[in-house]
Amino acid sequence: MSSPSRVSLLVLGAAALALAACNREEHHSRAKPIGETVPAGESPDTIFPGSSTAPPLDPRAALYDNNVNAISQGQQLFMQMNCVGCHSHGGGGMGPPLMDDEWRYGGRIDQIATTIAEGRPNGMPSWRGKLTEDQIWDLAAYVRSLSGLPSKDAVASRSESMSAGTPQTLTPHAEMNNSDAVPQ
Amino acid sequence: MKLSARPLAAVLPLLLAACQYQHYQSDFGKGAVEDTQFLTLFTIFIVVCAVMYLLVIGFLFAAILRRGRIEANVVESGRHHESHPLMQSTLIGWAALIGVGLAALAVASFVTDRSMAKAATNEKLSITLTGNQWWWDIVYNSADASKTLRTANELHLPLGVPTRIILKSNDVIHSFWVPSLAGKQDLIPGRENDITIVPKRTGIYRGQCAEYCGTQHAHMSLVVVVDSYPDFIKWWGHQLQPAPAPASPLALAGFKYVTSGPCSSCHNIGGTQASGQVAPDLTHLASRKSIAAGTLPMSEGNLYGWVEDPQSLKPGVKMPTIGLPPDRLHAVVAYLETLR
Amino acid sequence: MRIVQYRQGTQKLWAPGAGGFHGGVMRRVTGALTVAILSAAATLLGACHRSSSTQSTSPIAEGPLPAGNHALPPAAAAPADDGNWVMPGKNYAATRFSALSQITPANVSKLALAFTFSTATNKGFEAPPLVVNGTMYVITPYPNYLYALDLTKPGAPTKWVFKPKPAAASQGVACCDVVNRGAVYDNGKIFFNTLDGQTFAVDANSGQMAWHTQLGDIQRGETITMAPLVANGKVLVGNSGGEMGVRGWIAALDEGSGKLAWKAYNTGPDKDVLIGARFKPFYPMDQGKDLGVKSWPPDAWKIGGATTWGWLAYDPETHLVFYGTSNPGPWNADQRPGDNKWSAGLFARDVNTGEAVWHYQTTPHDLFDYDDVNEIILADIPWGSGRRPVLLRPDRNGYFYVMDRRTGQVLSATPYGYINSTKGVDLKNGRLIYVADKEPKAGRVTRDICPASPGAKDWNPAAFSPVTGLVYIPHNNLCMDFSGMQANYISGTPYVGADVKMYAGPGGNRGVFTAWDPINRRPVWEIKEDLPLWSPALATAGNLVFYGTMDGWFKAVDARNGKLLWQFKAGSGIIGQPISYRGPDGRQYIAVVAGVGGWAGAIVSAQMDPHDPTGALGFANAVKDLPMKTTAGGMLYVFTLPR
Repeated sequence: MSSPSRVSLLVLGAAALALAACNREEHHSRAKPIGETVPAGESPDTIFPGSSTAPPLDPRAALYDNNVNAISQGQQLFMQMNCVGCHSHGGGGMGPPLMDDEWRYGGRIDQIATTIAEGRPNGMPSWRGKLTEDQIWDLAAYVRSLSGLPSKDAVASRSESMSAGTPQTLTPHAEMNNSDAVPQ
Repeated sequence: MKLSARPLAAVLPLLLAACQYQHYQSDFGKGAVEDTQFLTLFTIFIVVCAVMYLLVIGFLFAAILRRGRIEANVVESGRHHESHPLMQSTLIGWAALIGVGLAALAVASFVTDRSMAKAATNEKLSITLTGNQWWWDIVYNSADASKTLRTANELHLPLGVPTRIILKSNDVIHSFWVPSLAGKQDLIPGRENDITIVPKRTGIYRGQCAEYCGTQHAHMSLVVVVDSYPDFIKWWGHQLQPAPAPASPLALAGFKYVTSGPCSSCHNIGGTQASGQVAPDLTHLASRKSIAAGTLPMSEGNLYGWVEDPQSLKPGVKMPTIGLPPDRLHAVVAYLETLR
Repeated sequence: MRIVQYRQGTQKLWAPGAGGFHGGVMRRVTGALTVAILSAAATLLGACHRSSSTQSTSPIAEGPLPAGNHALPPAAAAPADDGNWVMPGKNYAATRFSALSQITPANVSKLALAFTFSTATNKGFEAPPLVVNGTMYVITPYPNYLYALDLTKPGAPTKWVFKPKPAAASQGVACCDVVNRGAVYDNGKIFFNTLDGQTFAVDANSGQMAWHTQLGDIQRGETITMAPLVANGKVLVGNSGGEMGVRGWIAALDEGSGKLAWKAYNTGPDKDVLIGARFKPFYPMDQGKDLGVKSWPPDAWKIGGATTWGWLAYDPETHLVFYGTSNPGPWNADQRPGDNKWSAGLFARDVNTGEAVWHYQTTPHDLFDYDDVNEIILADIPWGSGRRPVLLRPDRNGYFYVMDRRTGQVLSATPYGYINSTKGVDLKNGRLIYVADKEPKAGRVTRDICPASPGAKDWNPAAFSPVTGLVYIPHNNLCMDFSGMQANYISGTPYVGADVKMYAGPGGNRGVFTAWDPINRRPVWEIKEDLPLWSPALATAGNLVFYGTMDGWFKAVDARNGKLLWQFKAGSGIIGQPISYRGPDGRQYIAVVAGVGGWAGAIVSAQMDPHDPTGALGFANAVKDLPMKTTAGGMLYVFTLPR
């Protein structure tokens, strides 16, 4: 191989590596402390009077949404904070299922983070002051993975549940409905 | 590379603290019967192998020195060294020596193994040690359920009492290793292993997780304190007591926050409403000798540092950095200091 | 039962203990092949009995039904039937038996709808309607509306509705659907509990509130779902929350004012449990001081469960209230060594003071969520030359207990379903004997535990007919896999620590209706049902037994031989108590509310996703097909014979 094409090959390889070294594997162990408010996420159905537009997605969403460490840590917190006691491994029970495509209070990661932090009517507890913001966003990232929403290279390829559920890499992608008209 | 002061500051007390441990993680500590048995076997192996080694070295040097005096090999002549009667008997003797040596090692091995197994059948105390990333959950089992003791990261053993430690894991494979007391035994999720220790010498021993278990495997140490039997019973009785009520107003403020804020989601403090089960039990935190499984020696300053920002001291640890405002930090540490 | 064990998914072949772990590949392959063929055969055979409107009735014991010399309810606890239905159990003896006999096996095939009423709710409906002198009272699940219907007018129009408006957040701490097990009528008032822990007294004529008392705290995970018992001027109420780390209690409120008369906890020191000088438990295991503390690790009794969410019974002759306590918390038993008193046991208390008179711990150190809250039927059985006052209890753990109600002595404990988790009850010391292999351990899956957590029978009560002398038990045939894990206690959230998966037991049918002879201790006839039976039973003097299935079939069978005589397909699955009453026109009516839900039907009422087998604490896997067979609802159906 001639020298210029070898160089260009190297450059291409380096570029590819640089792109691959993206947010996915970043570990935010020194996240922001409690005190910052999680925004009140609107549902897709919310009406904005005067034809104003919905606020943009919270910038923190990009840090957590497809992040391997966030989803993995969120999975451990999901067990430890007893989310599994009400929602099972996504199937629901005392609380609504999290693995389907119906989201009562919105399925965007910032909406889920708000749900966890503020609680919701009909029984979802409020975790503000009991979990740090970083932990809440980790949980929100994991909840999204229960319906297969994050990219498949960010989720675990082995089910941790003893009852041998489907591993997350095989979880079907349950697209969020635009409507959250779910009977109470 | 910039040398920041912080890691040095963290390491320095560790070096000083190392002095308080008996035979700092030394296999030659002879703190327990198991270690003594192991050392005996080790000595036999060293001696036998050393003898063989020296003999081999001796023969090698002899061969090198003799080289210069013997004529070249006369293979053509049909003379073989092996047929020389002295050489033949020497080789037979050598083979016999190897056989005897190996047999000695095998017998020693077998006898040690059997005596270790025998010690394991006689246990008077049962402890369940569960490995988590990256801390040790210790439960002292008792026939009287109300005397069951749950603590973390510091193991107390009574002198001379055979103690069976049941090893479990909540997440990944860890390994229990207190070199001065016994060998390694893995903690495997989904399985119960066990190890029996009969301590022979009082003192403080240091142990370590000996199976890579994640980012902070290096900071998963274990402090083992061997007490005399009466001291051990006194310690157990004291640890069963609920946390003392806070006296000073600062400690009271800290108590209110710790038992109702994020700490209570994970930690348990006996006698209070903080009943979290997934993090080390804090009921008698201040009576322990280290913080965070041997990461830091116990002191007020280290408590401040740990509570304020655990992620900088043990990055990746499951305890989050909450970022307490200064007043609250003072209150929390004041309360934690009362948990003796 | 290897076939049952292997049918549920291939991963079992690799489970330690299933034989495949150390075996060779060839052995596994041939084993798998045999299993496949056998299970295919079994499925084909089982398919013959799969349709919901058919069932296989199998008589088990030959010979004439016991007559004359059989069990009878005590007269004081089971007074003559006046045609009303004033408490869920019909009477203090909990017979659920109506003495009306206009409807008989001869004419029941003509039974037709008289009227219907929509309760405007769509959660699990477990309560019976009450009928008092021409008015019918219906208490719904959350939001706990109380309707009064005028039976004297055609179509039973609504007289009034009382809306207690319980806190919506209480829905988030109710473990097993937001049910209500019934109201009670006494002295002109209707008494009932709301999900958020209040007890209400409402004037039966006007619908005006007389009083209400807040007893439970939802912040601690407490709710109230049980039907109160009103006796001797006291309203007895107990809490729910054994899965939420709640400390169980029973309280008595003054019937007139609603003020607290006494409150007894079910765990903790003797002074909290109201154990004093009168306490004389029969067995040594229940004797001792402060056992409610000593049989737990330190402080664990404060979050130990032992709630009072089920049925109470009352003996007016001795003024004793009988009730059972729930499972201890958490489900993961490794976290609570010790017998865990006084969970999963039966208390007898003085109704006036609450003092404990005796206790029998049915399931010490419970491993499987075998609550002890099932119905307690009072009966007098022939014993020697006379009669002995006993309690008849089809228990969660699969044994039918006959106990002396004066002392708590167990006279017999006979399995009425398939059991492999325990070996029996040692009648000398009263202890339940566990099978060591089936003991769940944290971090491991223990498979094929029978009966599953809902037990051989859950809360849904049996009926007892003094005419036939039989106890009619609608119950389950379920087994489970159980894996324990560390449970974290955070008040207001679940405190469980277990992944469970349930499935059909031996035979493939998930439900069974058994007619049980309590004297000879054996089943007389049985009906196998496809779905678990979660509805209570009703027995009538006309020799009929009524019950409902989870897919909505309301059935009348002959009380003597189990022959299906009539059935009606309701709009939703039936888990509610059927009743029979005499209408203002003097004719016999049968009423039931159809609304699937409860723990068994949560997959429908909570719109769960069936892809997660551990949903609803494992029940989702057992009734994956339920959403195809029924939908949510809350409709009252009243039947009578045509004129």
